[in-house]
Amino acid sequence: MKDKIIVFSVVGLITLVGNWVGYGVSPIKAFPGMVVIALIAIIGYLLSKIIPIKLPAVFWVALLAILISSPIFPGHAFFTKLTDEVNILALATPILAYAGLSFGKDIGVFKKLSWRIVVVSLVVFTGTFLFAAILSEFSLRLFGKI
Amino acid sequence: MNNILKNAKIHFLVLIIVIISEIIGTKTLNVGIGVIALFPMLYAMVLGGIISLPSIKFLNTKEMNKAAHFLGICFMLFVIKVATAIGPSLPKIFDVGIPLLIQEAGHVLGTIIIGLPVALLIGMKREAIGATYSIDREPNLAIIAEKYGADSPEGRGALGVYICGTVFGAIYVAFLASIIGGWGIFHPISLAMAAGVGSNSMMAAATGALSVIYPDLKDDLIVYAGAANLMAGAIGIYVCIFFSLPFTARMYTWLEPLLGRKKAAVKKEETGL
Repeated sequence: MKDKIIVFSVVGLITLVGNWVGYGVSPIKAFPGMVVIALIAIIGYLLSKIIPIKLPAVFWVALLAILISSPIFPGHAFFTKLTDEVNILALATPILAYAGLSFGKDIGVFKKLSWRIVVVSLVVFTGTFLFAAILSEFSLRLFGKI
Repeated sequence: MNNILKNAKIHFLVLIIVIISEIIGTKTLNVGIGVIALFPMLYAMVLGGIISLPSIKFLNTKEMNKAAHFLGICFMLFVIKVATAIGPSLPKIFDVGIPLLIQEAGHVLGTIIIGLPVALLIGMKREAIGATYSIDREPNLAIIAEKYGADSPEGRGALGVYICGTVFGAIYVAFLASIIGGWGIFHPISLAMAAGVGSNSMMAAATGALSVIYPDLKDDLIVYAGAANLMAGAIGIYVCIFFSLPFTARMYTWLEPLLGRKKAAVKKEETGL
């Protein structure tokens, strides 16, 4: 848990810098929102330890965050006003930087893969995106939503 | 405290990468078949990737494993940010509840419908089942390992796609989203739901690309992508166990004699693993 709190704090601070450089939001203004996000992470994580239903921690964390930001929760507007200051793309940039830095450990195995699996991967990613887009478009139109 | 200092190198690198990436900012690149969106998280991934290349010898395996460990932890923050965008829009999401469920079938079937025939045509055998029954992220690996064993052909196929997803999945999906989004035949909401694909980094990258194309709809895009992604996460495992995997295995026995190559020569080299 201590490990997680440290990582949340460090990533939170890096995000505030990125949010400032890339989206012009001053770190002072976005700080409370970042704290709220980190607190939800910690509480959600603790909840997942207490609740006897076995589901990944991320599920409880997401559920908690949706709950306190949804219209049924008193004070939801207060929370979302704070978290709105943290740009989602600013939060994604450091995450993908960590992903990039871990890339080297997979490159050895990746080089050993045959060309076939690489081709199939591309087709699989394309297929899932394209078919989801087609079915979304179809069903949204069918129900007159777009 | 000692630990924090030991990890400081990774975090510091991330900070530098983030600053550089955000300064470069969003760019678009016309490549003939469409416009490719380039944006900070892609630069961050590529810069990080270059730094971690074994030939550069700047990071050791232990440090890279640390980076992967931190990645897992901070996904939590990303998920929360997505969830706080979803919360206020719950009524909007319930309104498209049925289309959201239907498109999930596209996510599930899309990998199999074109993936399996292509895999068979280029000469894959049972590896094709693992490779194409799902998008092969962590939970899917666990499912296939349980049913066939991690070192089975099916398991190796799944692991192969998993590795490809880790190495270039996010970047590829971002390109895909910007090209297909640029065609103009799909409504932005359809594209956003499609972007709710696979892992968090794939979703982030695909949604990021769409926000470059539709900057005014940025908030809506993340809501629908996030909803599709969460739904996939909640029901995806059951769909995989009870439908995708048995269905793919059945399709394999049916399609393999029709499309498969007769040569027995291609065996071990199918996945390289």
